[in-house]
Amino acid sequence: MVIEILGEALKLMVLAGLTIAGILVILIWKKGLATRVTYLRFVIQAAALATFFYIFTYPIWLLIMLIVILAMSIVFGRFFCGWLCPFGLYMDLITVARKALKIRHRDLPDRLNKFLHNLRYVLLLVFLLLPAVLLLMDPLPSVQLGIVLAEVLGGPFKPMNILLGPIIPLIVPWAGPLVIGDVNFSYPYVQDIIGYTNGIYATIFPLIFVVLTVVGSFAIRRVWCRFCPTGASLAVVNRFKGFKWAPALHLEKDEEKCTKCGICKRVCSVQVTDVYEQKGGKIDTSMCMLCLRCVEMCPYEGCLKLKIGGKTIFKSRNWLKPSDSD
Amino acid sequence: MISQQKKYMIEISQKEIEELRNSVKATSRKVMAENIARMKKTSKNRPKAMEYFDEVADLFGKREKEIQAAKESGKKVIGYMCLFAPTEMILAADAIPVRVNSGWYDTSKLGDRVVPVEVCPVIRSTIGAKMIGLSPYLELSDALISVLTCDGMTKLGEILSDYKPVWAMPIPRVKDLPQSLRFWREGLLTVKGQIEALTGNKITRKKLKSAIEKTQKATKAFRRLQELRKGNPVIMGRDAMLVNQTYMWDDITRWTEKTEALCDELEEKVRRKEWSCSLDAPRVMVTGTPMIWPDNWKLPTLVEEGTPQGVLVADELCSSERLLYDPVGVDEWTMDDMLNAIGERYLMASTCPCFTSKDGNADRINWMLNKIKEWNVQGVIYYVVRGCMSYAMEYTRIKKVLDGINIPVYYLDTEYTREDVGQMKTRVEAFLEMLTARIDI
Ligand code: SF4
Ligand code: SF4
Ligand code: SF4
Repeated sequence: MVIEILGEALKLMVLAGLTIAGILVILIWKKGLATRVTYLRFVIQAAALATFFYIFTYPIWLLIMLIVILAMSIVFGRFFCGWLCPFGLYMDLITVARKALKIRHRDLPDRLNKFLHNLRYVLLLVFLLLPAVLLLMDPLPSVQLGIVLAEVLGGPFKPMNILLGPIIPLIVPWAGPLVIGDVNFSYPYVQDIIGYTNGIYATIFPLIFVVLTVVGSFAIRRVWCRFCPTGASLAVVNRFKGFKWAPALHLEKDEEKCTKCGICKRVCSVQVTDVYEQKGGKIDTSMCMLCLRCVEMCPYEGCLKLKIGGKTIFKSRNWLKPSDSD
Repeated sequence: MISQQKKYMIEISQKEIEELRNSVKATSRKVMAENIARMKKTSKNRPKAMEYFDEVADLFGKREKEIQAAKESGKKVIGYMCLFAPTEMILAADAIPVRVNSGWYDTSKLGDRVVPVEVCPVIRSTIGAKMIGLSPYLELSDALISVLTCDGMTKLGEILSDYKPVWAMPIPRVKDLPQSLRFWREGLLTVKGQIEALTGNKITRKKLKSAIEKTQKATKAFRRLQELRKGNPVIMGRDAMLVNQTYMWDDITRWTEKTEALCDELEEKVRRKEWSCSLDAPRVMVTGTPMIWPDNWKLPTLVEEGTPQGVLVADELCSSERLLYDPVGVDEWTMDDMLNAIGERYLMASTCPCFTSKDGNADRINWMLNKIKEWNVQGVIYYVVRGCMSYAMEYTRIKKVLDGINIPVYYLDTEYTREDVGQMKTRVEAFLEMLTARIDI
């Protein structure tokens, strides 16, 4: 009973949230405040969270989501990470809390950051291949395609679950594996951890994981995104010849306008250094999640641009320019 | 054994000091008045808002008295020689920042008594100004921040320490090494401690934040002015340079207001199409050694009063457009990030030739290319005073790049003297002539 009421209440809250988000987006566009990317991003992230929240109950949709996310990343890079991923929003909100407390974040050493970044591809590969390997080691009696598929997608190491981890909405009253009080919490990856453990460990490990990610992202911005397998992206294809066209949505830098002031490097929440270090031209690092914080903060008009195909959709402004709003 | 006497400065009798000061001051007053009169005459439709800047440009006038009064009420004054000094920290400690480099020709001769004439005249002139107590801002400073940029500046701080506490701030000469920013940041922290000790005011997070916001506003006004120079000339280059330069000693909040007011007026002029000179005047950019008010105004004067007349639309001078172009970009308003932001603003964005990097001083080249394109510059004058090694040496590379984009560049070397004006005039006018001819084609 309580659970149902809570569930209904949450649904209503989400609906209200969606409406408010929609109104906000319209207002922001109207006022020409769209340049305040940081706020716009929160609104869109919230809307995305609500959407995921709803489709979460339909597994087939989740499968489609996964395909869309992976396919999208070929053309749009990690746009998903910057703007849509609920786990990303969650970490961003922790960052907001930290900022409110006036506590400074820590940075990972650049080399470790790069290492984690590369490790991600290994993780991705492992998760994708494990079911197949297990299948080979322990072949099924019948090789009917349906069973194979079920095994691959739903077997002991469900790649779909792992990859969808970040988009698991954080509170799902009816499906969460972790019960605290009357409310079920669904936290990314927790379900899988519980699946691999049992007894008391099935509670302790998920809790440790939750605490680690909370503390981790409090200290280090977007800590999970540094090695998240779902975040693997355009660079996977971009590394191969003939795929240079792939990242249609990308950042570009004007060499002559860049004063190498270093702001873009400092403000990036996943510590991308390429925007700063690259002399100019197309920036195609797969570390970048296209959150556009650097474009927003670069103080030189037109120095950084977000382009799709040949068209500029957003560019850095002289944010010191007297605007109508002040 | 090293005795306690002055390390460098020679003893001069009080009487001689007085005499010299009075005579140099008298000349300087004349020069300032004359410069302003000529600026008024050259500029068509000179904005009314310039009157304020004409007034604060008087080095021995209103601003000196204000600082004097502030000092009497207990405020401290902190002077600095290079624009790397963290103005925000000085402001946050409720002290007054002033830049004290000297532009007086006459005092450079006096400086010859302490250092050989091969030394850069900006340095000699500052030493000379100190010998006779000429510069009000240098005299009023309670301490000096000496940023160890070029060799001259490095030793200048040492020499001036004969009179005042001097806080040396070493810079890393290679900007893009991983340790550079860390090193510079440590230096900032040291200076922060020194400022706090001198003023007795702690630089808190809140105070530093409001100081940063203050300079950001100044940058905003400053950039607005430079933006207005992109189109048809609506303000003469010398007037803009004077506005830029008064920032070095004026009250920053007031300066910001006045500059915004000036920009409002200029925008109005753009609307009414009231230009400050003929639209045919070649658009010139100067780069090189800093040019400092009041005496070292000869090159801009020659350009803008020459026949044919040129107009300065942009410059790459640390005494003018580089002063405030780069803002302090704060990500999170914590003490830590503000310090990072201040550190980066002064060090990383600088185009000073004291630096090198993997790619040489590419930052300076990019700055110039951007200015040339956006401000529609037709010719560049590369100005160097004799003894200014780093600017002189970078000429070759800059010329190669500018040749590549077909922008004429003219190397003009001079001294802190009025004697070569005639000869310079011929050279500058020949260059302007050539630019005009090019435009006609
Ligand atoms: S890296 Fe992973 S957790 Fe981070 S935003 Fe992307 S998908 Fe979400
Ligand atoms: S913030 Fe802009 S100007 Fe500064 S280093 Fe980055 S790209 Fe260059
Ligand atoms: S490089 Fe810029 S757009 Fe990419 S993640 Fe960093 S701040 Fe966001």
